[in-house]
Amino acid sequence: MEVRVEGLTKRYGRVSALDAVGITFPSGALTAILGPSGCGKTTLLRSVAGFVPVDAGRILFGKDDVTQLTPQARGTAMVFQNYALWPHMTVFDNVAYGLRLRRVPERDIRARVEKVLDLVEIGQLEGVLGRKPAALSGGQQQRVAVARALVVEPRVLLMDEPLSNLDAKVRQRLRVEVRRLQKAVGITAIYVTHDQEEALAIADTVVLMNAGRVVQVGAPPEIYFRPASAFAAEFLGVSNQLRGTADPGALAIGGQRLPYAGPVRGPAIVVFKASDATLGPTGPPAAAPEGGAVLRGTLEERLFLGAVYRHYVRIEGETVMVDAPEPAEPGPVAVRVPPAKLQVYAAPAG
Amino acid sequence: MRRSARLASLAIAAPPLAIVVWLFFLPFLSSAHLSFQREGEWSLRNYYLVWRLYKLDVLYTLGISLVSLMLVVGIAILLCGYLRIVGYRPVEFLFKIPLFVPFVVVGHGMRVLLAPRGTLNSALAQAGLIDLNDPPSIAFTWAGIVVSLVWKNLALAVLLVLGAYRAVDETYLEAARNVGASAFRQIRDILLPMAAPSLVVASAFMFTSMLASFSIPLMIGSGEAPQMLMVDVFYRINYQNDLGTANALGIVSYLLAMGVAGYYLRTITVKS
Amino acid sequence: MSRGVARRSLRAALAVVAFLFIFAPVSSLVIWSFTRRWFWPHPFPQEWGLFYWKQVLQGDLFRALHSGFLIAVVVTVLTLVLTVPLAYLLARYPIPAKPLILMVFLLPHAFPQLPVFVNSTTLLYRVNLGGKFWGVVLIHMVGALVYAVWTMTAVFKSIPESLEEAAWNLGASHLKSFFSVALPLATPGLIASTLLVFLYSLDEFTGTLLVGSPFVLTLPVYMYRTSVGYELQVASIAALILMLPGILLLVLLERFLKAEYLSMFGRL
Repeated sequence: MEVRVEGLTKRYGRVSALDAVGITFPSGALTAILGPSGCGKTTLLRSVAGFVPVDAGRILFGKDDVTQLTPQARGTAMVFQNYALWPHMTVFDNVAYGLRLRRVPERDIRARVEKVLDLVEIGQLEGVLGRKPAALSGGQQQRVAVARALVVEPRVLLMDEPLSNLDAKVRQRLRVEVRRLQKAVGITAIYVTHDQEEALAIADTVVLMNAGRVVQVGAPPEIYFRPASAFAAEFLGVSNQLRGTADPGALAIGGQRLPYAGPVRGPAIVVFKASDATLGPTGPPAAAPEGGAVLRGTLEERLFLGAVYRHYVRIEGETVMVDAPEPAEPGPVAVRVPPAKLQVYAAPAG
Repeated sequence: MRRSARLASLAIAAPPLAIVVWLFFLPFLSSAHLSFQREGEWSLRNYYLVWRLYKLDVLYTLGISLVSLMLVVGIAILLCGYLRIVGYRPVEFLFKIPLFVPFVVVGHGMRVLLAPRGTLNSALAQAGLIDLNDPPSIAFTWAGIVVSLVWKNLALAVLLVLGAYRAVDETYLEAARNVGASAFRQIRDILLPMAAPSLVVASAFMFTSMLASFSIPLMIGSGEAPQMLMVDVFYRINYQNDLGTANALGIVSYLLAMGVAGYYLRTITVKS
Repeated sequence: MSRGVARRSLRAALAVVAFLFIFAPVSSLVIWSFTRRWFWPHPFPQEWGLFYWKQVLQGDLFRALHSGFLIAVVVTVLTLVLTVPLAYLLARYPIPAKPLILMVFLLPHAFPQLPVFVNSTTLLYRVNLGGKFWGVVLIHMVGALVYAVWTMTAVFKSIPESLEEAAWNLGASHLKSFFSVALPLATPGLIASTLLVFLYSLDEFTGTLLVGSPFVLTLPVYMYRTSVGYELQVASIAALILMLPGILLLVLLERFLKAEYLSMFGRL
């Protein structure tokens, strides 16, 4: 079931939570909506579920226009950030509730509940069915929440930061399982997260949002390696931004000039990832044999992060980060960035 | 705690404590004492009189309180469900008004509304629904007491039940809506069970208040037996000057209230 | 769009029913208070007017209003003075016999008032306070203190202790931190509680009827007498005047009146 939103707009007072958002969520695929908090991603998900009435635009499930339907009539199933498992019901009753509302015979309910709980790999069924949600671990609660959503065979599965309440290890494992499960069921899934790593790991397509608008849509590698804007580049990795001016053939950053052959002209933002840069001793410009960029600066601070040392280098009044396996000593340094890893964007107006 | 601090706290606590002990606890004990006294001697005759004259009134009091409570709680469960799920501020405000209307005013207002020649009958007669030559009366019957108690207590019930419903996180309702639960099913399956402990406490709270209601039955009840217990106590003192029996009736009312209090304390401790 | 229509009509029906239910007794009071003459079985009064309002405001009603108001002021001031320090103590310090004190202030809620007040009246007459202004003040204070201790303790408890610890940490004495930290933060809650104490005293009926009658007259007792005496116009005017402070309080303070202040009040 393909899901499409067109021109979706939602205002809270004078703030636009959604500003003419148009996206197609392909059938059977897992699409992650990624963005900082307040970017409108949760509003988008909740408007697809029907919890948020929109001011303008349409929501289509296949050919059905569901924009005016109540949440009850939409046939979506949502996994909530806090799971929202009803604390007064057992695990079985939680999962069975949607089926009971549909007047499924009690015998079939039992079979379907057990089947879906097997599917989410809840473990020993006997030990779990009669328990209240509070007696389960966070990971198990999450599985029950997914089971409760899937058991009603929804047209669309909606997940609102479903892993954010779990600790890092469990989160990593469940990430894999959510993906496996979605592929196994073959359901159209929309997955909201603010965690770029999670989005890249789990999704077929990533939708990057900012300030109520869609910034970029693409497959994870495309989003990661070819961010469409300075915001996208910034949000997708530990990255550095320097302000400069782009001229034909050269890029001026403060008093330093870099070779440049790209299309941008005028005020520009230069972006590179901390892990893509290397540190070396200052020397003559010839020290960049492969044609990459070399920027002179002063190493001011160094932190040990375990896998790498993070160096804070001051270049032309701005601070950039450089990750390296070996520590460097404070003082004048040269920061080298391979040409392919240096992104140049036109600076936004104003 | 230092000695001077202890003395200071004692000095602060003593005056209000003294007033409540003097004018509530001593009288409370003396009602127990006096209920066993008859013509200056220890006796069970007061209780015998209560049994002979007032056993119907005890049942009547319990019955009226129970019927009123059922109505109040039943209406509040559904009304608050609507107010919680859909929301309607003006109606929510309307139901706070009775909270601020004194019991005596409720009694009098219901008298002029529900009496045989009251404004309700006038209005109904205008609509041609009743015959004014033989007007029915709700006032001065048990129904009048029930209507008045419901009117006054519904405000309290709405306040408490809506508070309990509001304490239920919105996502629990959204999750239910998401799998197809109607408003009624959300009330029945989510709000009501999750708010049940508060509801039990609120019910006990209102039930004892109804048992102990005095001015409403005094003003809108019938002049004849059976009566609500508090009215019996008042008449026994005012017209018969019979402290003994009045206090025995009082003890019966304490026991009824304690039974309810005990019941809800037990449900709370069992739950937790 | 028929569901939208159904939803709106349900809403409208609810509003109408709620309005009629709440205002039926109140509107009856208004009609009666402006009635000069109303002969049954006429559906409306034959003569309207302010006749009874004029008559009533010069007579006993004004006297009852005056003494009731005076009693309420005295009760409120005394209750406030006695309760604020105690509530603060109960909220903050491990004072001796705390459970017992809390019990003393809890039990009056659980038991019917009237049979107790019957005996309180006897005690007050014994010290020659029966039928006197101060006797009525004292009997009002029983309910007022119990109500105020619970709400005001809750108010002080709702102020995080760390705010005062920060003041102590900087060298403020306990007395100083009470006046400069706890009291200012508690003021809105204390005001709400105080206003409700005032309203309680103004509306109190049972204790006043037993202790005050027939010498001390307040508005609720006056209204009761005129109502059962079938002076319906006079009683209705008294009832309307009696409702006024409460409705005023509700309209002005609706947003500030938390359920915790109101729940106990609704029972009094």
